[in-house]
Amino acid sequence: MTATAPAAPEATTREGRPLPEHDSGLRRLWRSVRVPAALFSALLLVGVLLSLGGEQFPSGHLEPDSPQPGGARAFARLLGQDSDVTVARDSASAARAVERAGEDTVLLVFLDHRLLPEEVDTLAELATDTVLVQPSLRSLEAFAPGTDVTGRADDGDSLEPECALPAAASAGSAEVAGELYSADEGVVAQGCYPSDGGSALIRADSPHGGTTTVVGTGTFLSNRDLDADGNAALALNLASAENVVWLRPDVPEEAGGSDIVDLLPAGLLWSVVPLALTLLLLALWRGRRMGALVHESLPVVVRASETTEGRAGLYRSRNARDRVVAALRNGFLERSVPKLGLNADSEPRTVVATLASRTGDDPRHLEQLLYPGPNDPYVADDGAMLGLGEALDELTRKLR
Amino acid sequence: MVVTGRAVLLAFLATCAVAISGQIGGTVTYVAVGLVVLLVVLDVALATSPRLMRLSREGDTSLRLGDSASVSVLVSNPTGRRLRGSVRDAWPPSSHSAPKAQPLRVDAGERRRVTTTLTPTRRGDARSAGVTVRSIGPLGLAGRQRTLRSLWVVRTLPPFHSRRHLPGKLSRLRELEGRHTAMVRGQGSEFDSLRDYVPGDDVRSIDWRATARNDGVVVRTWRPERDRRILIVLDTGRTSAGRVGDTPRLDHAMDAALLLTALAGKAGDRVDFMAYDRAVRAQVRASGKGSQVHRVVEAMAPLEAELVESDPAGLVGTVLSQGRSRRLVVLLTDLNATALEEGLLPRLPLLSSHHLLLVAGIKDPKVEEMATERGSADALYRAASAERTMSERHRISAELRRMGAEVVDADPERIAPALADAYINLKAQGRL
Repeated sequence: MTATAPAAPEATTREGRPLPEHDSGLRRLWRSVRVPAALFSALLLVGVLLSLGGEQFPSGHLEPDSPQPGGARAFARLLGQDSDVTVARDSASAARAVERAGEDTVLLVFLDHRLLPEEVDTLAELATDTVLVQPSLRSLEAFAPGTDVTGRADDGDSLEPECALPAAASAGSAEVAGELYSADEGVVAQGCYPSDGGSALIRADSPHGGTTTVVGTGTFLSNRDLDADGNAALALNLASAENVVWLRPDVPEEAGGSDIVDLLPAGLLWSVVPLALTLLLLALWRGRRMGALVHESLPVVVRASETTEGRAGLYRSRNARDRVVAALRNGFLERSVPKLGLNADSEPRTVVATLASRTGDDPRHLEQLLYPGPNDPYVADDGAMLGLGEALDELTRKLR
Repeated sequence: MVVTGRAVLLAFLATCAVAISGQIGGTVTYVAVGLVVLLVVLDVALATSPRLMRLSREGDTSLRLGDSASVSVLVSNPTGRRLRGSVRDAWPPSSHSAPKAQPLRVDAGERRRVTTTLTPTRRGDARSAGVTVRSIGPLGLAGRQRTLRSLWVVRTLPPFHSRRHLPGKLSRLRELEGRHTAMVRGQGSEFDSLRDYVPGDDVRSIDWRATARNDGVVVRTWRPERDRRILIVLDTGRTSAGRVGDTPRLDHAMDAALLLTALAGKAGDRVDFMAYDRAVRAQVRASGKGSQVHRVVEAMAPLEAELVESDPAGLVGTVLSQGRSRRLVVLLTDLNATALEEGLLPRLPLLSSHHLLLVAGIKDPKVEEMATERGSADALYRAASAERTMSERHRISAELRRMGAEVVDADPERIAPALADAYINLKAQGRL
């Protein structure tokens, strides 16, 4: 239907010359296909564009894949240029990665408060070079015994290295202010970036072998701050090795426990039985009526004017203006003729003449109004019909 | 079986007890549930059986629509134990019985009266549906109930709103009889009595012969003919079901018929009544003197419009079979052109040769309102349709008058007095 209907007038050119038959067939096919095809390609295009922007990156503080300001994707990419970076999400896989990597390996530990104490101990026993970023006290105890948190500087302040540690000295000043550490007396440790109360970076030997570097903050590694000061240099120096294992533990999953039914007291579970009984009795109490409903046979009653209204609907649906006009005239004559001293058998001419003398109207106009003959001007349209109604009302008023 | 709120409360307490019972919950559950069930069953068993109650009735049997009637049930307890509980006397919804249920306490061997007030909103017979007795056990937890039969019928009579027109019409009637305080000479042709002359009496009515025999001046009084017969016929066919205003045509017609009955009774005429559609639905024959109103009202009360086309041929036959003596036949029907043209008009000469026919129809004010609608094509279609209805009514009225029948066509508010006036006029003209 939609394909053939517009084709009929367009099958000829502007000059009216009919087009060849096969051409019109092809055109017809093209015309029927083009709109759905255009719609389909537009939808496809929109879908592809939407999917391009829809790639989901992980988010989180110092997350190696996160491009957000707080993430560490930039640092991870930089590291990846010279080293082999392995991202581990739990301590077991980190330990396996370290063992597989061999000698020249640095373990970067972030968010270690998510690790259990046993896991921290296992990691400390790996005997590899470790960088702890803002560690928990438990980790500090395991990786660098004898060091302690002794102060706190404003996060992100730039500090000078002021030490002989090559990694720090070559990097120069960096925004490493955060937690500050000091070593107990008799412990061999190298503190850099000093501030009031301790050093922001401390390097000590791990009791199991290897060195442990503790940094008081991780913000200098984030995408936002990596390019400031000597942050990037310090970070790369600390993690300079052939293999880097990046440990950022996921939130530990909950395991075990008991569901809500186990936690409820036994009595409460048992009370469901008497509660059901209570509800049953309640339903019986409220639902039991006193005796059956009483029915009553009611008589049929309709509006007396129903038939008249029905006929009005019929007139309207068929636009029966001739009937309307005849009924209105007839009603007017029935009411008015007795008032004029005439009766129903009087001649139309007599009626018109009497009416004209009584009201002073033009007899020809009255004849047109009341006895129009075969050419009735009042059935032409609704406006004319309404005009007749008004004219008859006006006549009735004059006769009063 | 019934349970009370007390049983629900007991079960709820049992629930609470189990809930706080802790480790021994299982045992407590068995004990608590068992106890509740046991007590409820025990109470049901101990309740006095409602089936053994004996019922009897007394109270009103009829009332006018709009009034209230009170009906009592006497519950007697022949058993040796007290019955405690409640009772409901059930009636159809349109009877609006109150109170719905009431508390009941009948001691052993005693009797209690339970009174229910009915305020019906519908004319006709209301039958009691049953008396439900609920008996609660000694613990007040549960009991038994039973619906007992005790038939009683309350008849709601038509309201007779047009009674207010009666004094005015009676006064016109007295005027006619010459007994009016204005002391005008009575119309009519029947000699009534002689009485003393009172200043103001028409001097032409002085009976000189009687005056000669007496001390004072004596006048003759005249009165209209008495002991004429009137037959009121109520059409209960389909057209009487039409609602004019808020009330069916049938009820308006009843109102008018009642006024006419009351008036004709006072005027000393004998009134018969008949309701007819395809068969006689109700009939009252005049019996001696006195007012027929009560008997007609009783006969009218249970009448409802039947959804059948009335049978005028049968009607004419029935009227003619009731005696050849001349009477006024008042037919209360709808002036419906098609029904009357086909049915009544051809048989009218036969009826008119024996009786005088008065046809009374009830106009619908709604149709007259429709006829004046103007302003839009829709309104004009409605107006034209109404004009057509009115014109047909007009035509059939003229036709009936031409054939010798009297016609009264009036609004529902006007029909009763208009019919009474028509009757008085006929009487004054001596046409009865």
